[in-house]
Amino acid sequence: MTTIINGSSPSITFSDGSAQTSATRPFLNRIINGAMAIDQRNAGASVTATGSPFSVDRWQTIVSQASKFTIQQNAGAVTPPVGFTNYVGVTSSSAYSVLTGDYFILNQTVEGFNIADLGWGTANAKTITISFWVRSSLTGTFGLALSNQDWNYSYPASYTISVANTWEYKTVTIAGPTAGTWNTNNNGGVRVQFGLGVGSTYNGTAGSWAAAQYLGTTGATSVVGTNGATFYITGVQLEVGSTATSFDYRPYGTEFDLCRRYYEQWDYNNGTGINNYMGAGVGMGYASNDVRTTLQYYPKRTSATLSFSGTFRFGNGGYNLNISSFLFDQAGSNTVLIYNNSTSGFTQGQAYQITAQAASKITISAEL
Amino acid sequence: MYKQYIGADGTLARAIVRLLDNACIPFASDNTDYQTFKKEVLAGAELQDADGNVMTQEQANQFIASLP
Repeated sequence: MTTIINGSSPSITFSDGSAQTSATRPFLNRIINGAMAIDQRNAGASVTATGSPFSVDRWQTIVSQASKFTIQQNAGAVTPPVGFTNYVGVTSSSAYSVLTGDYFILNQTVEGFNIADLGWGTANAKTITISFWVRSSLTGTFGLALSNQDWNYSYPASYTISVANTWEYKTVTIAGPTAGTWNTNNNGGVRVQFGLGVGSTYNGTAGSWAAAQYLGTTGATSVVGTNGATFYITGVQLEVGSTATSFDYRPYGTEFDLCRRYYEQWDYNNGTGINNYMGAGVGMGYASNDVRTTLQYYPKRTSATLSFSGTFRFGNGGYNLNISSFLFDQAGSNTVLIYNNSTSGFTQGQAYQITAQAASKITISAEL
Repeated sequence: MYKQYIGADGTLARAIVRLLDNACIPFASDNTDYQTFKKEVLAGAELQDADGNVMTQEQANQFIASLP
């Protein structure tokens, strides 16, 4: 059987005349977790936007003032748009008047490796289209902005929500920037930022690139300005070209692994990381007051930040010792040495089974 | 606030503890927590040595300048 691959469009015509009009395009969507399905940190719990926390994986709130809104996977428990099962929802905690230098945004920073083909910052910069489903209790003009990692080159754009409390599909097409510095490595490539309330210092006129730190558009609606206002979003896609195509569903396992390049956590028996046996489950007495083990984790984009909370039990036959303080040393992109050199009771050379106790957790982060 | 600590080999670790959540941040230039650590200390955030003594701003600045 012969096939004809049409040269200028992603379609295949077979010898019997039938055609596959929409060929698969690997990694069409440069946004990770655009369907807001993965929430390792919070498991669906609400988070107060203080200190710029992450909500669902890869989506970070960046705020200049604490506690002006909460964010939660499937906040308000409304029915998602057709074809989606999750969204992330912002709920305003007060009627806050945004100051000149304020900013409240929902951000995903796309890694430079994942936009390297766009040619941004060159004469061959490619056009991209952002599409998403959005629903708000407010109507009017809203803002979003693209920016490079250093926040010194950006593009404000606007979109309109016409009907309150109704899912609406939006698309924004943006000609690629021929200037500015855009990372094409493991650092931040492009920031995709949805404005929830941005002061005039960080607002620009929609529709053009500028050598400035714009986080929103002049005149955009402030979600944090109305007590109880809601802003829900899902199905976020950033793709090459001037036309939005249907959402690029990837296998859940693939999407989860994409998230784990930036963050993972190992909880006590939470079903997403490990059960109560930690890693290889074996530590070694390095000295009478020093026990060590190594941890291997999903490869990160760079050397990871690690934290531990809770208690691990080191057992050896009838002997058990609980330890709730560990340090990490020589962290790499996929392995680290864990040790405690301040607790006595170990025997040099002895192996110990490691058991995580309730509420124990290790977090491994290499976020952008 | 941040704190130096002794690594597994008995010398100063090539990492820093963020006391807010006891996270160990490696000295890796691509790590955004490391970038934030350097910015915050230079801006006046407290840095303790491995014994818990608070460094002066001059000492902290010198330490930051010695890092990759």
